[in-house]
Amino acid sequence: MTADFGPLPVDPVIEFYKKDLDRTLLRENLKLTPQQRLEKLIEMQRFAEELHRAGREARESS
Amino acid sequence: MTDFAELLRVLSEKRVSFILVGGVAAVAHGSARFTQDVDVVYQRSSENIDRLVESLREHQPYLRGAPPGLPFQFDAQTVLRGMNFTLTTRLGDLDLFGEIVGGGSYEDLIEHTFSLNAFGIRCCCLDIETLIRVKRAAGRPKDLEAIAELEALLQDRLGESDRGD
Repeated sequence: MTADFGPLPVDPVIEFYKKDLDRTLLRENLKLTPQQRLEKLIEMQRFAEELHRAGREARESS
Repeated sequence: MTDFAELLRVLSEKRVSFILVGGVAAVAHGSARFTQDVDVVYQRSSENIDRLVESLREHQPYLRGAPPGLPFQFDAQTVLRGMNFTLTTRLGDLDLFGEIVGGGSYEDLIEHTFSLNAFGIRCCCLDIETLIRVKRAAGRPKDLEAIAELEALLQDRLGESDRGD
């Protein structure tokens, strides 16, 4: 059994959010393969983890 | 820190039938948003539940956010009696869905997937149209920006060829 999905209606709230998107980031991502996109996510995660660690260290030493 | 590749690998190596959904699926489609967990819809046959339980056994799955020491056992009976589980594991956070709002079960969704090949693993990933649909159906305010981004990606992809899928 599979679900039969029809076309989605335009949602004005979502259209509003689209105005502020940085589409240049999305277009750069579209140049990558899915694996490269996931590798970027992993790099982002490592960077966020390092920032958390540095923040903790700064708070503890102040 | 979630080891995205390793989580997908342990599921795939045990031949668990699952569909990658949520933030990681969105990233695979080109989303620039950050996510910290892996969301999958798993097939609820007893054989698949056995494989799912076996795949995660050595990674100490536990209910995320629950106090330590609860008598929680991630075994086939637990999965059969429940439906959706938000877990923490030694490999990171993993959300298991037997069904998702706006999409239904594994069987409902499998025709709306593509084969994602990453890190030497091949798995089913929800297609972008259906990902948008289920995020819309979930109706969570925090998803509005993510949905807008996915719809913009879809519009761009309809205008340009995509290398990956």
